[in-house]
Amino acid sequence: MPPDSSAIDDALLAVLAGDATLSGLLPDGVWFDQAPANARQFVLVSLFHAADQGTFGQRAIEDALYLVKAVSFNTSPATVLAAAARIDAVLEDVALTVAGMTSMAVYREQRIRYPEVDAIDPSILWQHCGGHYRVQVSVNGA
Amino acid sequence: MAIKSGRQGQVKLGVDEATATAVASLHNWTLSLATEMIEVTCFLDTNKVYVPGMRDISGTIGGFWNSEELAVIEATDDETPLHMVLIPNISEATFIFSGLAYVSAEIEVPVNGAPTLSGTFSGAGPWDLPTAALMAARAERQRSR
Repeated sequence: MPPDSSAIDDALLAVLAGDATLSGLLPDGVWFDQAPANARQFVLVSLFHAADQGTFGQRAIEDALYLVKAVSFNTSPATVLAAAARIDAVLEDVALTVAGMTSMAVYREQRIRYPEVDAIDPSILWQHCGGHYRVQVSVNGA
Repeated sequence: MAIKSGRQGQVKLGVDEATATAVASLHNWTLSLATEMIEVTCFLDTNKVYVPGMRDISGTIGGFWNSEELAVIEATDDETPLHMVLIPNISEATFIFSGLAYVSAEIEVPVNGAPTLSGTFSGAGPWDLPTAALMAARAERQRSR
């Protein structure tokens, strides 16, 4: 039975959540896809695309592209810029711990940075900064 | 008998067929059974004419580089040929192609992907084809005509 692929998502979240510097910059946590309504400074992780590569008889490699970004309710981008730099320092070449799999590579493919005017209150500005991170793991025994 | 997925294919290597073991991390193999054609064109023939010569055995294997699976790399250094077993689908045990082969290998390491291992092989002795199964299939076709 192949390992649970969502463990890759969990491992990525755990690495980010476990970094004290990043938690200091964005104290409202690390979230997958959607943050709670009251969160104002947080890390958001989303799975953009995932593809499997097989060998005879089994899945061998899982290759995924994640959006990982710092989000902050702030007129200044200073916090998200610092947080994005920290995200990059934490993730680049990190060896993820995933049950039943071996980490192959984690690296940024593209960076992102943009402000967002709040849809309800135009006086509110959200800052976004981070990147698209490629995560590749191999299934043990493949 | 039916068309089956290549997902359950397999390649084995060993000193003989009985002890050959499956090579991990492979996802592709090809086997060429191309027969040499000898030209026998004569005066007044309206096109070139050939007669079959000897069948050649060669092919390729492909997969991912796996530091825990070095059978293919080791095979490239063997002075005596290894026994290779090519299986289209492990659920059809009577359909295997096997024989002695010399193996060459190549590793490719792209910066943004998984390192791959590929290889070529050449027959180094008589090969066993699934003759009995092929004859049975042929007889079945003839009966149904």
